[in-house]
Amino acid sequence: MQKVPTAIPGMDEVLHGGLPAGRTTLAGGGPGSGKSIFGMQFLYNGAKYGEPGIFVAFEERAEAVRNNALTLGWDLAPLEKEGKLFLLEAHVDPQTVLSGDFTIKGLLAIIEGKAKSIGAKRIVIDAIDILLRLFDDPARERSELYSLHDWLNDRGLTAVLTVKSAVGADIATRYEFLDFMADCVIHFDNRVVEQVSTRRLRVTKYRGSGFFPNECPFIIREGINVISASGTEIRHKAKATKVSSGLTRLDSMLDGGFRRGSSILISGTSGTGKTTLANVFAVGACRQGEKVLYISFEESEEAIVSCMLSAGIDLRPALQEGKLRIVTAMPESAGSEEHLFNNLRTIEEFRPGHVVVDAVSSCKRMGTLREAYDYVMRLTNACKERGITSVLTNQTEGFQEENEISGVGISSNIDTVLFLRYVDIGGEVNRVLIVMKARGQKHSNQYREFRITERGIEIADVYIGTGGVLTGVARQEQEAKEAVDLRRKQLEIEYKEHFITQKKAEMAADIARRQAELETNKTEVKSLQLEASLFAGGRGLRGKMRTEDEVNAPGKTPAKKNKRPGANRKEKAI
Amino acid sequence: MMQSDRPEEAGSENYEMLLFVAGDEPNSRLAKDNLKRICDAHLYGRCRPKVIDVMKDFQSALEHNVLVTPMLILVEPLPQARVFGNLSDSRKVVEALRLTGD
Repeated sequence: MQKVPTAIPGMDEVLHGGLPAGRTTLAGGGPGSGKSIFGMQFLYNGAKYGEPGIFVAFEERAEAVRNNALTLGWDLAPLEKEGKLFLLEAHVDPQTVLSGDFTIKGLLAIIEGKAKSIGAKRIVIDAIDILLRLFDDPARERSELYSLHDWLNDRGLTAVLTVKSAVGADIATRYEFLDFMADCVIHFDNRVVEQVSTRRLRVTKYRGSGFFPNECPFIIREGINVISASGTEIRHKAKATKVSSGLTRLDSMLDGGFRRGSSILISGTSGTGKTTLANVFAVGACRQGEKVLYISFEESEEAIVSCMLSAGIDLRPALQEGKLRIVTAMPESAGSEEHLFNNLRTIEEFRPGHVVVDAVSSCKRMGTLREAYDYVMRLTNACKERGITSVLTNQTEGFQEENEISGVGISSNIDTVLFLRYVDIGGEVNRVLIVMKARGQKHSNQYREFRITERGIEIADVYIGTGGVLTGVARQEQEAKEAVDLRRKQLEIEYKEHFITQKKAEMAADIARRQAELETNKTEVKSLQLEASLFAGGRGLRGKMRTEDEVNAPGKTPAKKNKRPGANRKEKAI
Repeated sequence: MMQSDRPEEAGSENYEMLLFVAGDEPNSRLAKDNLKRICDAHLYGRCRPKVIDVMKDFQSALEHNVLVTPMLILVEPLPQARVFGNLSDSRKVVEALRLTGD
């Protein structure tokens, strides 16, 4: 079906293109809810872009309508002169006497005539219920309204009819049939939630078209600005590059750093150093020449600067160079849609590469938890769409809530969650940091000790050993103890080694000695053998010599020597 | 005397009236007939109401701020008076036009 864009910021997204062309749209709401502004903005935008329109004012004088428009920054007079806009002051004089039945044909004739003469395609009737009040009889009301509706459709005019309804209710019961008659129904609401005034609109019907069905917050700033509907499309630019977290150790825990354009939540109980960590990131990014927008709901700019100085972080150069901009606001000063509008406007104008919000947990002071959630979700989505990295700090009450804003969970939409907490060991309180989640990238899942010193943030390994996870002094003690144990063992080993060496030496010496002894004995045996052989040899020789003597001297006096009986024996022996 | 002069004054006064109608629709026809009757009865035909068809002449309707039809406007004598509807309730019409004196 054909649609007529309203050109109202955020509105055409909700309407999936615009209002139904040539058909009737109903804009209902309580007093001051913005329905009349909606109608006028529709005409004004059309007139500016060459589509003339007629504004039928039942409530106010034409002059009042012009003045109201001026407060929104719209000057109607030139457009009227050019014939792009016609204000019809439709007043039924209260002094007019009623006699008998009547119709609104007069009105229609005027509208028709004027529409033809200026070539109008758009018409707004503000407010239709005043017209209908002329008719006492509900049946007459209805039939007149139907004939109006038909009349408008026949002439292909895109019409917006505003209807006053009771505050908090949809179109009042008396005008229920209006809902059925119109092709598109938008309800405007201006309510006070937790003492903060807040505006919402909702499309309750759109025949023949899809539409965003939920309530949309909007603000009135130079007209209606609808905070864009989130969730119908996810058009995030996926970025592969990383941006440093500002700390080398943390970058290595995150396999390089934060993914550019992603959302990061730094969660932790009070005083754990979330703001400091966020500022380290900001300063790091600024040093790389990138712009950072710092949205603070907690402290003023001066307080932040001086607080960070004590942690060794100087924000002043970045501020002076215009790379860092700090905007501060009290959450309760306005509804979430107004904060969102202001922040988005600043983002459009300043064009930062990164946005820090400190702290999202304060946002529930904007009204309700739901408001806080809405604000955070819409802001992070808007940042993602623009490829802007968002770093949010969140104060929790305890470990269980590390990824929630007191009950309205945002963690599923956050890409990276860092958690800071205190550990209480050995009479000391230390801080630890852990990467709870980092969508789309590798990350460490170990605790690290997190120290804030005058030199900035330091991240150290925690002790992991038989004593469990320890930090601080306890860690050092345990480490020392284990070092001593280790040394002792080393010494023991050394001692044993020496012992073995000694024993070996002893054994070797022993062997040598025995060897030597053996040699000595062997030598002894040899000499004894030699002696024996010599002795035996000598005896033989002597024997031989004796025998030779006896042979050589036969006649000689045997009496020289008595033949000893043994001599023969000896010869035999040898 | 004023009193006795009134019929003459009433008679000499010019009654200028405009009747806005919307084409030939039932209420408009009724209004025309009813007005004629009232005029004849009270003004002795001294007035000739000007009938304007808004379907043909919307400018006049615009100028006179006529949103509903039929609409009867007493232009003169002042003060101006307006009656809308098909004028079937003649008493109201007579009152509005200040014709009761007659």
